[in-house]
Amino acid sequence: MGDSIWQSMQQKGYSRREFMQLCSAAAAAAGLSKSAVGQVASAFEKKAKPPVVWLHYQECTGCSESFIRASHPVVADALLDVISLNYSETLMAPSGFQAEKSLSDTIANNKGKYILVVEGAVPTKDGGVYCMVAGKSALQSLKTVAKDAAAIIAWGSCASFGGVQAAKPNPTEAVAISKIVDKPVINVPGCPPIADVMMSVVTHILVLGQLPALDSQGRPKEFYGRRVHDTCYRRPNYDAGLFVESFDDENARKGYCLYKLGCRGPVTYNACSVTRWNEGTSNPIQSGHPCIGCSEDGFWDNEPFYQHLASFPGFGIESTADTLGTAVGVATVAGVAAHAVLTTIRKRSVIAEVHAEDHKES
Amino acid sequence: MSTLKTGVTNVMGANGGTPVEYQRVYVWELPVRVYHWINALALVLLCVTGFLIGHPVRIAYAQEAYQQYWFGWVRFIHFAAAYVYVFNFVYRLYWAFVGNKYATWNNFLPLTKKQWQEIADIIMVDVLQVKKHGEIATGHNALAAFSYFFTFVVFCFQTVTGFALYSSMSDSWFPRLFTWIVPLMGGELAVRFWHHLFIWFFVFFVIVHVYLSFYHDYIEGRGEVSVIVSGWKFGKFDKVESDGEPRKQ
Amino acid sequence: MATRVVVDPVTRIEGHLRVEAVVENGVITDAYSAGTMVRGIEKILIGRDPRDAWAIVERVCGVCTTVHAQASVRAVEDALGISIPPTAELIRNIMQATQYVQDHVIHFYHLHALDWVDIVNALKADPRKAAELAASYSKWDKNTASYFTAVQDKIKAFAASGLGIFANGYWGHPAYKLPPEVNLIAVAHYLDALEWQKQIIKIHAVFGGKNPHPNYLVGGVPCSININEVNAINSERLNLVSQLIGQADEFVNQVYIPDLLAVASFYKDWARYGGGLANYLSYGEFPTKGYNHPESFKYARGAVLNRDLSTVYPVNPRDGQEIKEYIAHSWYTYAEGDNTGLHPWAGETNIAYNGPQPPFESLEGYSKYSFLKTPRWKDNAMEVGPLARLVVAYASGQSDVKELVNATLGKLGVPVGALFSTLGRTAARGLDCALAMSWLKEFNGELQERVKINEVSTFNAEKWDPKTWPAEAEGVGMIDAPRGALAHWIKIRNGAIENYQLVVPTTWNGSPRDARQQRSAFEASLIGTPVANLEQPVEIIRTLHSFDPCIACAVH
Ligand code: HEM
Ligand code: HEM
Ligand code: NFV
Ligand code: SF4
Ligand code: SF4
Ligand code: F3S
Ligand SMILES: [Mg+2]
Repeated sequence: MGDSIWQSMQQKGYSRREFMQLCSAAAAAAGLSKSAVGQVASAFEKKAKPPVVWLHYQECTGCSESFIRASHPVVADALLDVISLNYSETLMAPSGFQAEKSLSDTIANNKGKYILVVEGAVPTKDGGVYCMVAGKSALQSLKTVAKDAAAIIAWGSCASFGGVQAAKPNPTEAVAISKIVDKPVINVPGCPPIADVMMSVVTHILVLGQLPALDSQGRPKEFYGRRVHDTCYRRPNYDAGLFVESFDDENARKGYCLYKLGCRGPVTYNACSVTRWNEGTSNPIQSGHPCIGCSEDGFWDNEPFYQHLASFPGFGIESTADTLGTAVGVATVAGVAAHAVLTTIRKRSVIAEVHAEDHKES
Repeated sequence: MSTLKTGVTNVMGANGGTPVEYQRVYVWELPVRVYHWINALALVLLCVTGFLIGHPVRIAYAQEAYQQYWFGWVRFIHFAAAYVYVFNFVYRLYWAFVGNKYATWNNFLPLTKKQWQEIADIIMVDVLQVKKHGEIATGHNALAAFSYFFTFVVFCFQTVTGFALYSSMSDSWFPRLFTWIVPLMGGELAVRFWHHLFIWFFVFFVIVHVYLSFYHDYIEGRGEVSVIVSGWKFGKFDKVESDGEPRKQ
Repeated sequence: MATRVVVDPVTRIEGHLRVEAVVENGVITDAYSAGTMVRGIEKILIGRDPRDAWAIVERVCGVCTTVHAQASVRAVEDALGISIPPTAELIRNIMQATQYVQDHVIHFYHLHALDWVDIVNALKADPRKAAELAASYSKWDKNTASYFTAVQDKIKAFAASGLGIFANGYWGHPAYKLPPEVNLIAVAHYLDALEWQKQIIKIHAVFGGKNPHPNYLVGGVPCSININEVNAINSERLNLVSQLIGQADEFVNQVYIPDLLAVASFYKDWARYGGGLANYLSYGEFPTKGYNHPESFKYARGAVLNRDLSTVYPVNPRDGQEIKEYIAHSWYTYAEGDNTGLHPWAGETNIAYNGPQPPFESLEGYSKYSFLKTPRWKDNAMEVGPLARLVVAYASGQSDVKELVNATLGKLGVPVGALFSTLGRTAARGLDCALAMSWLKEFNGELQERVKINEVSTFNAEKWDPKTWPAEAEGVGMIDAPRGALAHWIKIRNGAIENYQLVVPTTWNGSPRDARQQRSAFEASLIGTPVANLEQPVEIIRTLHSFDPCIACAVH
């Protein structure tokens, strides 16, 4: 540790030109313009490879798996040249107390300089006993490791919003990490987030030495500023009112819009339509399945997924707002009809009086 | 402010030959009537288009998307009607401070003991029909007015949720004012859910509202229906108060 | 003198595993395997739409992503009597075989290799010799001297700037036996595999929209096929899949399998350790004539007891007496008492932690010590996974499996008994991968044939609408996942999930003892393993990794 990225590349015999290429790739990945490349280069020259600590709590490791699908920069280069991943339970060589040593050394030697990334939510029920690593609860370790971190990134919907374990009835009282640490957290939601989005968030921080612009939910605007629907390639079908009515029907085979199958694209902020998945191979909608809104806070409870809106609580599984509404409508008509009948019976004399007066007038 | 025009015919009263003034009263000024019908039209459009947005119908499918744009138009009408509806409402709020005594804001909130008594009375006479006669209001009766207050609240709710949804599709200043609503309500799906649910309030309201208009017209015979077109109502008044307003005894 | 060695976290696995091993005179005499994270997914599923369950359970694990989704749609289809179109079955098989291949390669290079490969020692290698050596067992044209030199330089520079994820490894431990050249070859392929894995998995993106966590669908698959439409699975998509399969085939057969055999040949002593249980269970996998016809599966279903290959016992997941879960030593309670076993349709998930409050040093003295439940088949502890699949298929007489196993044993010059060990388990995973690779090609060929004759239906809509469902239904979705026998049991009532229980491969292997104090596979296999240096328990890690543990799966 301690060497700058440029220094370590020199040792490996890279040329200045190759170094500049890496910088522009990193800048492109971080969404910067060409003019920022100079800035990137100086950042790489000055800074040592930033130490990264990757913690796992209540999670499925899908976010880690997604991360290693990144293509620019390629993961092997990122791991060897761009960052110094000092602690990752998924990839690190040592186990047990040697692993703990990697963690404590990193913290001790890089106070205020390491990037903390967290995958997974933190259970808070019963003192946090539902997630323990090395005999410590997630609650305990997160606070310790977050204390001296330069930046904190929450990977995925679990760390950002609580994720699947926080879905009702949230048996372990799982919460987002931003609820535990008292520092700003960069939320990178998605279940998992897109590989190149993850990589770019890291390079953005490390290259510019500052946090990317965040929205009110702590998400980088760069990737979460638009709805899936806004740039969906099926959007012309939506506007034309051409919808898939059932999976694999004639319209599905023509690639019509999936709105009526419950597509959450219109209510979901993510880069799937633009960046797409697995080096641009596809995205959920392109492969025929509606978006389930996997980057939205609390999306697991927006059920059922194949219905345009969430079901209405207490009215059964397929009930919608319209189930309740229809009930209200029917009751109203019935009430009005009953009232009309009541009126003709009970107000007979009142109406007679009005008539009587009119007769007197004429 | 309020103009009272009376066309007086003297007739013999029902009891004991007391003379009764049979009058025309100018109740709903033009701005209120214009507001009412623009609002009614906009709301019907919003409900119909809103329902279609929630449940797109299967219409003759084109071969290619560029050949039609019907869903786009439905949404366009919804958004256009939304603007009309909102600014029409803002204008009505203004009129609640400058309009005649039937139109002012204090009608809509039962702040006086008299209004509460009237509400109780209307429940007895018109809703439960356990009492035969009661006070007949010239403007809104206190119960109707109070229910309009809730309606106005729902108007605001639909406006806020509607523009919150719209803010993700528009960069113009007005919708942008509502962006903060989305996270507050727990995401866009939640906002949509509530926005969609309240369509049913309007269905409920319109059924009851139109029914009651005809009901009152039928029972009282004072032009309750036509008044919202013409502005004039009929009244049988025993005397005219010093402020020039007709009063029933 | 007995020492309790605690390994927590066990790394290079999925999830939060803690192992406490009792070591006496340099040999393990007892072991406790504990899963220390729980989410309560079985509770979260209750009351939800069964058609949504796949998406939720898929998030049980992002490493074996898809397998829970597949088990779930099968369970719901089983409950509701839905059969899926043959083309959908092929696409699901392609996704599943892809998962096997990708998961196993990642496991070998990124999760397991560092137990056998000394990365620091690779710096001593002569790249030219490494190239010659590699050429002697593989035709992969990337294996040149300049390539190995470049990798070595990369590692050199990397080592000089701190070792990152490789820091504090057990480098130099006497248990590492590979010559520097083999170490270098393996390290080079570690980096290559990192790039390769994201290619093959694009197959999931083609059919499921993304990976990790591609989309599934009750009644079929969500993608539609239309070769005259750019918006569907068309010829371009099919070409991409074929090309990715071709690349994968080369990597598996020219890189992974040769490396595996090369490394294994230096560690034949590990055929003596880690055998553990003698019972093997496989649900079978890759239906070719529908899920309800296990006799048509590529891998047979069945159980083998006491390593007796002459008998394969049938397995019935619906029989209340066959598969049961115990919680005698797990942090749960059962209404009927903690020593009972429950069939999953009657399963309960009442989380009840009563271990030490964190931070703690040891679980010694606690009767309950894990969030894993303990599954048993007819009250036998069973090993599941690639080895179990091969054993059951071998004993069932499936010829392609038999031939490959015999040929490999011949190449390594070891008897059949060598399979029942840490080394055998790791080798079995390689063979499992090679078989899956060959079937993947086969399935893809069949898919192309079906498209040719326009048999492209991918979804059965008949029972999509909950109004067509009975008021009550129960089903079981079985699948043999990369790590072994996986099944989901579902009960549906009035259109909603009434009970949902997952019994997962690593639950079988990594669970604590049952009510009769029988150990499960992890614990049993550690017994007898030597530990040379209590500070560097690389031997413990080797045997654990041979199972490819996944604790998020195991606990859920
Ligand atoms: C007050 C009466 C209104 C009613 C009854 C109404 C009704 C509806 C309904 C039922 C939907 C469909 C929701 C769904 O199922 O997803 C909808 C959508 C929408 N409404 Fe309204 N709405 C009203 C007012 C407004 C207003 C004032 C706005 C302000 C701009 C607005 C903006 C929207 C937007 C943006 C959508 C989503 C359309 C889309 O995504 O294409 N609505 N409305
Ligand atoms: C979508 C349809 C309609 C809506 C949303 C609606 C809404 C309203 C509102 C908000 C008011 C209070 C006006 C104010 O004080 O500014 C009102 C008053 C009134 N409306 Fe409507 N209206 C509708 C249709 C109708 C129709 C069809 C009639 C006639 C048959 C009618 C008759 C009246 C009358 C007579 C009043 C004033 C009397 C009173 O205080 O109750 N409305 N309406
Ligand atoms: N154990 C396990 Fe899995 C697998 N293979 C699941 O069923 O790993 Ni995540
Ligand atoms: S966000 Fe999704 S993919 Fe990431 S750990 Fe959580 S469940 Fe897994
Ligand atoms: S498929 Fe979904 S995201 Fe795409 S246009 Fe239709 S509703 Fe929007
Ligand atoms: S489900 Fe998730 S992956 Fe994208 S398309 Fe929807 S946000
Ligand atoms: Mg279970």
